[in-house]
Amino acid sequence: MIDPRSSVVAARLAGIGRIAAFCSAKGGVGKTLCTALAGVVLSSRGKNVGILDLDLQGSTAHLFLGVRPRMPGEDKGILPLAVTERLVLMGAGVFAGNRALALRGHEVSDAILELLAVTRWGRLDALLIDLPPGIGEEVMDLARLVPRLEAFVISTPSAASTAVVERLLAFLSDLKVPVTGVIANMARGDAAPVRALASRFAARYAGEVPWEPSVEGALGSAERLGRTAAAAAMAAALKEAGW
Amino acid sequence: MHEWALADAVIEATSGALGGRDPACLRGVTVLLGELQAIDREIFTFALETLLQERPFRTAAYTLQTEPALFHCGSCGREWTLADSAGLEGDAREAIHFLPETAHAFVRCPSCGSPDYRVQAGRGVRIESLTVDAAGSCA
Repeated sequence: MIDPRSSVVAARLAGIGRIAAFCSAKGGVGKTLCTALAGVVLSSRGKNVGILDLDLQGSTAHLFLGVRPRMPGEDKGILPLAVTERLVLMGAGVFAGNRALALRGHEVSDAILELLAVTRWGRLDALLIDLPPGIGEEVMDLARLVPRLEAFVISTPSAASTAVVERLLAFLSDLKVPVTGVIANMARGDAAPVRALASRFAARYAGEVPWEPSVEGALGSAERLGRTAAAAAMAAALKEAGW
Repeated sequence: MHEWALADAVIEATSGALGGRDPACLRGVTVLLGELQAIDREIFTFALETLLQERPFRTAAYTLQTEPALFHCGSCGREWTLADSAGLEGDAREAIHFLPETAHAFVRCPSCGSPDYRVQAGRGVRIESLTVDAAGSCA
């Protein structure tokens, strides 16, 4: 028995300049916010950007960006949904909406492989992949399936976060996934532990995205997100990381 | 029409599975279409035939077989088929067509209502077998 899907993943991603996973083994550190901000910032620079929401069981990228879940268009594959003129989105949330989508490990892998095999991204400058918390199928599957994968690693300054993210950095090193930048999210002038963590793994510290209560009011609109101080901080972090 | 993407995958996987063997020796490919994904056979066949025109194994016969969907409830042990799954219409069917795992957002065990179940068979598209003529010239 042959699963044919993995044979076309590289071809589906061939028109994309750079591909980065936004990951953190710790939950609640703002991976989706950072992914959405990065998408908004890069597209505002004239880049064509895709976001793939692989937080299959807790999809929220569509909520951050104000995209109503609906069936996608088709053209010899499925087409990501438009967020703005230069930003598109795909993920399980597009299909399941706000319904609970409880999946076991092999089903997570199946869903990831299906999305990678049938989504037609076309030509993009960047694809940003929002991952769920944990070190599991999503990280391993992407490392195996996605050529040229890079990682942005997100942590808050809390020891509860950095201790877990340290494991992820070691795991990414074992998987030989290059870390393009470590970002301190929800920082309040206290990002030193995240900077130190990056240093221990010889990874680039890209900067901090400050805790900003007004972000909550910007959720649901790419335009409003792009006007936040968090977006300005993400723009600086992306530049520091060479993006 | 995302059947094209899956047909493309079947052909690429066929090519990969042949390895260094003469593509002209490929006689047949049996493809299983999982009932859950509800692939449109007409579109899938047309896509296969179109994409095969550019391949050295274009004369191979592709046989499509439907694999019935079978669910197994982790809570009460009930096994059931797609026909037993009530309420799968419109967007639910389309969502499952695009991404079969979204069945877990729409299907519940018909006996106990549990969302804790496995899709035991009939999920999506797979290649069951390749038939390769190993004897003599394949020209």
